[in-house]
Amino acid sequence: MILHLLNRSPATAGTVDDALAAMGPDDRLLLIEDGVLGALPAQASLFTGLAGRLFALREDLAARGLLERCAEQANIVDVEGFVTLTEEADKTVSWF
Amino acid sequence: MRYALLVQGGPYSSQASHSALRFARAVVERGHRLDTVFFYHDGVYNAARLAAPPQDEPHLGDAWRMLHDEHGTELLVCIAAGLRRGLLDEREAARHGKAGHSLEPPFELTGLGQLVEAGLSHDRLITFSP
Amino acid sequence: MNETEIATGERVTEGDLLVILRHSPHGSSWLREGLDTALVAAAFGQRVSLLFSGDGVLALLDGQQAGALGQKGTHGVIDMLAMYDIETLLVDAHALISRGLSTEDLLLPVSVVEGAALPKLLDQHRLVLNF
Repeated sequence: MILHLLNRSPATAGTVDDALAAMGPDDRLLLIEDGVLGALPAQASLFTGLAGRLFALREDLAARGLLERCAEQANIVDVEGFVTLTEEADKTVSWF
Repeated sequence: MRYALLVQGGPYSSQASHSALRFARAVVERGHRLDTVFFYHDGVYNAARLAAPPQDEPHLGDAWRMLHDEHGTELLVCIAAGLRRGLLDEREAARHGKAGHSLEPPFELTGLGQLVEAGLSHDRLITFSP
Repeated sequence: MNETEIATGERVTEGDLLVILRHSPHGSSWLREGLDTALVAAAFGQRVSLLFSGDGVLALLDGQQAGALGQKGTHGVIDMLAMYDIETLLVDAHALISRGLSTEDLLLPVSVVEGAALPKLLDQHRLVLNF
């Protein structure tokens, strides 16, 4: 299982498509930095195939005023949870 | 576990360095070993000796140095990316006939082979890019 | 190239390092820096695969030249891949099609990857670096 990191807003960059195309059926996606815009309900349709495998970093959501605006499908993790996700994955791949 | 980080974003121009530093602290807090941070692309500017950010902003260079002092993390800067961007230690400055140097220990100029080595020999390599 | 048959009959490339190149020549240093990483890893004896994806497929396009100020670009590096025993050159099919290109436009023979072969490729390498 690979942990993919996405730091680009899906609303402005096609990077999210590259990341999704490279994801296997058990892989996980963590949204960080501007990637957390992907956790907004308006972007939710992009990630319907990732039930239980979509994560967003709490502090990057909070810094942008987005913490209370997230779609329910995104699991919100703090930085300790970020470390845990890297522990649980065989490797990580960053998309930017 | 043994971790290595690859930092490719310039300090203060993208969030990458801040994200990497936050993750670095969380990794050692958890009890893992953070052996190596490798700076590549514009990430090499993290090693700039003369960086003088406003006092009410986090000082990234000092924070990396503290990580080295407290946890022995090696701070490796790609020499090819560094020289192109004006990051020279004393030896390289002398070799290129420059009046001053812009990078000093604990940051070290090193080859890309060290990145490959870190990536393959550590349990995890996490990349932070702009 | 090291290939193994998998259950579905697709061929999957294995290796130590997969370098994914997603940026075009000249516009930024990502492509050159990614290629440099691949060359160094190969020189250290690692099995390296290259995946050209997104605008990275332009790295393989015929007819490239130096920039107006003499910037070298990356086509010279592409010519050196074989010398470094980097023979696993993969191209994302979608990236080619969406740019109106085909493998006939490319400098070197490549293997085209698409669909489920893409995640398997990432899975089969110990380290994946994205540039």
